[in-house]
Amino acid sequence: MGELRLDPMTARWVIISNEKDFGPEGYDIESPSIDGSGACPFCPGNERLTPPEVDADRPSASGADTPGWVTRTVPNKFPALKNEPDLERSGIGVFDMMNGIGEHEVIIEDTDHNKQLADLSIEQIKRIIYVYKRRSIELGRDERFKYVLIFKNYGLAAGASLEHSHTQLISLPIVPKRVMEELECAQRYYDYKERCVFCDIARQELDYRHREICENDDFVAFCPFASRSPFEISIIPRRHQAYFTNISDGQIENFARILKEILMRVRQALHNPPYNFIIHTTPLNGNNSSNDFHVYYHWHVEVMPKLSKIAGFEWGSGFYINSTSPETASRYLREAVI
Amino acid sequence: MPQLRKDPVIGRWVIIATERAKRPNDFKQISADITEVMPCPFCEGNESLTPPEIRAVRSPGSRPNGPGWDVRVVPNLHPVLRIEGDLDKQPHGIYDMMNGVGANEVIIETHEHTEHMSSLKYEQIAKVLMAYKERIVDLEGDTRFKYVLVFKNHKPASGATKIRHCRSQLIALPVCPKSVKGELIGAKRYFEYKDRCVFCDIISQELNDKKRLILDIDGFVAISPFAARFPFETWILPKKHSADYTSIIDVDANGLAKVLKEILFRMHRLLSDPPFNYIIHTAPYRRAKKGYWGTIENDYHWHIEIIPRLTRVAGFEWGTGFYINPMPPEDAARFLREA
Repeated sequence: MGELRLDPMTARWVIISNEKDFGPEGYDIESPSIDGSGACPFCPGNERLTPPEVDADRPSASGADTPGWVTRTVPNKFPALKNEPDLERSGIGVFDMMNGIGEHEVIIEDTDHNKQLADLSIEQIKRIIYVYKRRSIELGRDERFKYVLIFKNYGLAAGASLEHSHTQLISLPIVPKRVMEELECAQRYYDYKERCVFCDIARQELDYRHREICENDDFVAFCPFASRSPFEISIIPRRHQAYFTNISDGQIENFARILKEILMRVRQALHNPPYNFIIHTTPLNGNNSSNDFHVYYHWHVEVMPKLSKIAGFEWGSGFYINSTSPETASRYLREAVI
Repeated sequence: MPQLRKDPVIGRWVIIATERAKRPNDFKQISADITEVMPCPFCEGNESLTPPEIRAVRSPGSRPNGPGWDVRVVPNLHPVLRIEGDLDKQPHGIYDMMNGVGANEVIIETHEHTEHMSSLKYEQIAKVLMAYKERIVDLEGDTRFKYVLVFKNHKPASGATKIRHCRSQLIALPVCPKSVKGELIGAKRYFEYKDRCVFCDIISQELNDKKRLILDIDGFVAISPFAARFPFETWILPKKHSADYTSIIDVDANGLAKVLKEILFRMHRLLSDPPFNYIIHTAPYRRAKKGYWGTIENDYHWHIEIIPRLTRVAGFEWGTGFYINPMPPEDAARFLREA
């Protein structure tokens, strides 16, 4: 059973996971790429290698945990958090903790072991986004959870442990630190200007153009003004929308298009780098009486190609050194031939 | 001119180091083995390969920028910030920025060509620790600076370059770094509530519990923090309360050197010479906004954080600021105690 622990200094929560509970020998310091040998648990025909599915697109109405699916969602075999009946908070002296409740799921994006997300058709990417939406709504029903995170790790250096293309989804009893900081800043900005900071950013980037990569009717993609890492990308809805789960059918089409385009541009411009993306959305129940997150927060996607090693300086200070300006990065990405 | 830019959402400052601007090809994944830069600019006799020294611990009669030193501090040949110029704070639409003014120095820890700080004598490490102090004190004279970060990157995976000669670095900044600020605010809030230093409370609890305690010698404790972000993350704290690293005197430097050497040596043995970083967390300069730091001498407590680089930080950690640590700190502390 994992635990969530609160650092008394920075109010940062950490998951202490003892599912894997490695000794020192459990850590590989450098290994080149993902070990593709052995049966892939995400390939059709190997459904028994995963826990029973929680969601699947089965156009031919085949039975659960058998082939015939086009997307499939299963619980993570090595979850960072586990679902338990009760959320218990406790304290020992100066320290605070709670048990690590949460759901941790894996969305298998396609049947083809060798395709990347960027290779999939718009139709297939749309199906995947519908799964993101469906699972987020489903997990958000549990009132103990405050947040549902959707993220993808591509490549070993970005944290993926399996080759077969997949996205992960995790529900949490707390709002993550970084989202909390974004919420606080967005609130301060709103209090001062009565406008959403993300709407203002989208407007300024569309106007200024030097950091923009591409756009369509519903979304704009750009390299953020103060990017933490080289070639970092934001994709944000052009019109104010607090919750990812409010994405409309029309927006899903345009989201699939811009996501595919960005991933293709990243692959082309940067020679198929490892990358991560993560969807930041408003915390669950963000429009209850005690707050109005939905007024000033605006969902968006962060895409981070994994290029430079983060040094001690960055870790210790939260102060990042980025050696490619976002203006230069966006030019490379814009000019990539896809 | 490099720039400092503020993220309007998080409020975090970022250095845009335009002078080191890179092309996509420069980021091609490098393989693990690296060719070492030769000759080593940090070895005795090669002093001419670095910019002129800022300070050195020298034997009597030796000359600046010549042989005969124990510890040598030089400007970084490829600085991320520039020492010359004004901050020139300015807006850019809804964004804010300022010039990337700052100092970036390298502290060469020994004249011998060795990669491992843990192989140095503790007396030598103590000289390095005193050099940190002297540099922080000296840089306070420059009113543009708010904070000096002292840190070490060991091996390339931790951010060190292709020179296998042990050294640390410091960066003097015109802004207070985000996570330092988070710590200062957290410590202040705790003090307002309890009228005690949170770090002192942690030390007394860890000394009592013993589960996360690794070492307790000569006035310093080494612990695995309760909410460690990384496997084998270790903090060294002085038992005597002090907000500023610069309060250390020779006897403290000796004690700290012993603990630091021991921890690094144990990590080396236990984890087969892992890449690691350490960073000194100390109170900022308090020239500006004196009132704002009204209780800082009582509420903040300097310490060193050591992070072996064993796991890859994945999208989840990066995008959420929410870390998954697969090693309970109680186990990490036990491994390090018993190493």
